[in-house]
Order: sequence, then C-alpha cells, then structure tokens
Amino acid sequence: MSELKRTKLYDTHVAAGATMVDFGGWDMPVQYPEGIIAEHLFTRTHCSLFDVSHMGRIIVTGPERVQYLEKVLTSDVSSLPLHKAQYCIIPAEDGSAVDDAYLYKIEEDRHMLVINAGNIDKDKAWLYPLAEEFDVTLDDQSDVFGSIAVQGPESTKMLMTLIGDETLAEMPKNGVEYYSLEGHKMLIARTGYTGEPLGYEVFPMNEDLKWLWDRLIGMGAKPAGLGARDTLRMEAGMPLYGHEMGVDEDGKNMPIFAVGLAKFAVAFTENKPQLIGREILEKQASAFKLLSKKDNSEIENLPRRIRNIQLTDRGVLRGGMAVFKGDKQVGWVTSGTMIPYYKTTGEGDDIAYTDEIGKRPIGMCYVDSDVLIGDEVEVDVRGKRLKAMITKAHLNASKAPYAFPALH
Amino acid sequence: MNFPEELKYTSDHEWLKMEDGVAVIGISDFAQDALGDVVFINCPEVGDELTAGEALGDIESVKAVSDVLSPVSGKVVAVNEALIDNVEMLNEDPYGAWIVKVEGVTDTVELMNAADYEAFCKEA
Repeated sequence: MSELKRTKLYDTHVAAGATMVDFGGWDMPVQYPEGIIAEHLFTRTHCSLFDVSHMGRIIVTGPERVQYLEKVLTSDVSSLPLHKAQYCIIPAEDGSAVDDAYLYKIEEDRHMLVINAGNIDKDKAWLYPLAEEFDVTLDDQSDVFGSIAVQGPESTKMLMTLIGDETLAEMPKNGVEYYSLEGHKMLIARTGYTGEPLGYEVFPMNEDLKWLWDRLIGMGAKPAGLGARDTLRMEAGMPLYGHEMGVDEDGKNMPIFAVGLAKFAVAFTENKPQLIGREILEKQASAFKLLSKKDNSEIENLPRRIRNIQLTDRGVLRGGMAVFKGDKQVGWVTSGTMIPYYKTTGEGDDIAYTDEIGKRPIGMCYVDSDVLIGDEVEVDVRGKRLKAMITKAHLNASKAPYAFPALH
Repeated sequence: MNFPEELKYTSDHEWLKMEDGVAVIGISDFAQDALGDVVFINCPEVGDELTAGEALGDIESVKAVSDVLSPVSGKVVAVNEALIDNVEMLNEDPYGAWIVKVEGVTDTVELMNAADYEAFCKEA
C-alpha cells in the first residue's frame, strides 16, 4: 500500500485530537473530539472550518482555454464573467459524469478548476489528452496552495474582520475575488458544500494555511471533519461523486441529468458544438424537461433520477439499500444517515432556532423517474421493509443567514 | 478510557455484569468511542431467546452500523426502553446505559477481566 498523502494542516488536525482516516488516498480528519453531530450543528448556527486542501486545483491558461473548457465541461463557460464561479460536470461520451467540479474565473486570462480529491488522477488522465488539440495549458497547483472552507452564519463577519472592511458582505453567491487578510493575499469564493446561505472557500498559499486556520479558530470558529461535511451536504441535497454520480448499484453509469442540479450545470449554447456527449445530453435534457411536466414519453432516456428521501418508520437509511414501490424495486438509496438538527420555533420570516436537538433519518436515492415527490415508498433496511417518503428538500436555505431544516 | 473492575468484557467490546443470576449487557467505553456519535439502536424484545456470540441488536452511529453480539445465551427479561429515545446515553455513560438483561444463562462467550480487556484494547 502506498503511503497516505497529507495536507499542510495534517499536524494541526492531529494536535486538535482529530480521528484521521484514509479518504481517497489522503490521511484526513473524519471528526474532531466533539463529534460529527456537534460539528454539524455548529456549522448551521455558527461557523466551521473544513480543510479541503486535498481537492485538486488546476489552473487553466492559454488563448484557447475557453474553447477547450466548453468542450470538456458542461457549463456555459463563455458567459462566466470575471470574478464569478460556476458548478459544472466533466461529461463522458455516454452522457455520464467523469466528475463534478467548480470552475472559477479568477483572472481575465485564467480559470481555476477544482475537482474531487479521489478523482484527481482519473480526471487528469481524461482532461490532459483532450487539451492537446487546443492552445491551452493545464497546471496542477494543488501542491502550491490549499483550501479551507469557512461555512456558516458567522463566516462573513469573521472573514471581514481579517480583511478589515465590509466589502465581502456584498459578494454574491459564486463570487470569487482576491483579498488581503491582515497582509496575506488569497482568493475568497462564496461557494461551499454545506448548503449554508453564508459560506466561503478560501484558497491561501501553503505558507498561509495554518495562519488562517489558527486565526479563525481564535475568533471562535471550530474545525469540522469529513463526517460533518458529508452529513451537511446530504442535508443540503448535494450530490457526492461515487454516490449520486458515476456508477450505480447495478454497475451502470448514471446519466448526468439524473441529478437535478444538471439543469443549472449543463448548457447547450452555440459555443459548445464540441461538448463531449452533447447529443446524448440533449436527449437527457429533453426527457428531464418532459418528466418535470409529468410527461413520461421519453423516460427511456432518463430512466432513473436522484431524489431526496426520508424514512418515516424508525431506522436509518444507508447507501446500497433497495427502494420499493409496492412489490417492484424502483431503485437504491445512494446516501443516508441520521442527521441532527436544532428544532425551530415560529413560521415564515419569524422562524428561529431553539436549542433543542432533533434527528431525522434522511438520505438520497436513485429511483425510477416516474417515482415523484410525495410518493410513499419502502426501503429494505437490513432485511426489514420500512416506510419512507420521497421529499422535495431536506433544507430550506432561503432565510439567510440561517439554513433551516425542511421537515416532513 | 474507563474499564470498571466489576465488569467482564468480550473481544467484541460488550460488557457483562451478573446481578443475582441476571446478565446485564452493554457496550464498553472503547466501543462507544470507536463508534462515534450513536444515533439509533435496534433492541430485542422481552422474551426473545439470545444465542452467545450472535447479534442481539444493532447500533447505528452517524458513520456506520454495528451489531451488538450477545455475550450469553438466555432469555431477555428486560430492555432499556429509555435508551431508545436517548441513545446518546451510550456515548455519555456506556456503563450506566445497559441495553438488555438476560435470565437463564446457559452459555457464555469467552470473557476478559478489566485488566486483560484494557490490554486487549491497547493492542487494537
């Protein structure tokens, strides 16, 4: 077995008492001593730090970089303005996903592509050869700078204290800009993987990583590990490659439009004639559109979709459990666990958190496209059929600065 | 980590205490620490017959599910109902949070005393 890779914050995690695990070849903190539940709840109500330096950061330059990116990414790259970012998917020829990624236009002449840690080698083996026919340079700078996700309702205030002014409060979702934090220059993007209305991903140079981490901890932020990162993204209904994207339980590639976010991540503009898998993706998109109008006439082009699911019986959902409607198996649970939340009081704009903790067995599933939101289904939980419901969303992020649980 | 002297332990990290011929069973401090935040428990019912070395129920943490193996064969005479809604007690007080009580014990898996179990955990 090859030795596990370490981020520049490895010693900091160990000193904080983190439980370290192998994650895609990286020795990463899965949780700190307070535990996943406390870390999840602290993110929703205060501010947590996640070391995401293990992810891949590729800088794309060269005169034909936009044409290249229009081919290898699903998103509308030409329309991405300076200082903005977009969610995108790296498509394969068959309309499935090689990976999902985030593209940042960080300077007039350069983009940054952030890819999943576990897919770095695979993505590079896919992306680099495709670059050969373009005047474009891909430069993997994952070893040059790192990344810390600063997520939660107090994140803006903390970062603004270090910046020394309040301009960050004006940054829109998906904004990305260089800032000087007490003299340390770094990129800050208003992106994240927690569903928090306020959350940032900061990209400090290697030598500034520990400084920023310690400074934010000193201001009251707490570290959170991969465990909470997973429960938070699951509650937010965000896909994780290998669960909601990639290969399904039956060994088949999942179509990109199985994930609802594809609606925003896939563009068919005239600037993307070479988009990989375009013809198949257009068929998926057409089926997706019809299905949303309850028209199943093209369902064979998108037979299954990713949905949110909540267990209504006592139990816990886990990836790999079979989902049934009546006697028929309609799909699989792709992710699931028991998720904690603070109970709320009040309705509408008066909604507020209490300090009473609840928990709910929720997850995501990959089910036949004619299974709809509100449908009752059953899940085989360790040999027992338990009742569950397909739900629209687990989280309501429309009441900034807080994301509240959507209970069913 | 805590290893009370008066308890016996299994290599699967359950603890056992004999009280007037009744076996009281729970999971050890080492077990709850390894599991992380416990979020759910499936218990047997009163009257169920347990077999030594076989699952009596399962415990789910945020991360994963683990079987609880019964250290004894016998009949369940009590289940800690309070645990079902307050399963975090397994993390907070693993030796207070008993899971089941078993009567008519006919068979037992190999058990360790506190010192041997502590040594066993250090090797793990």
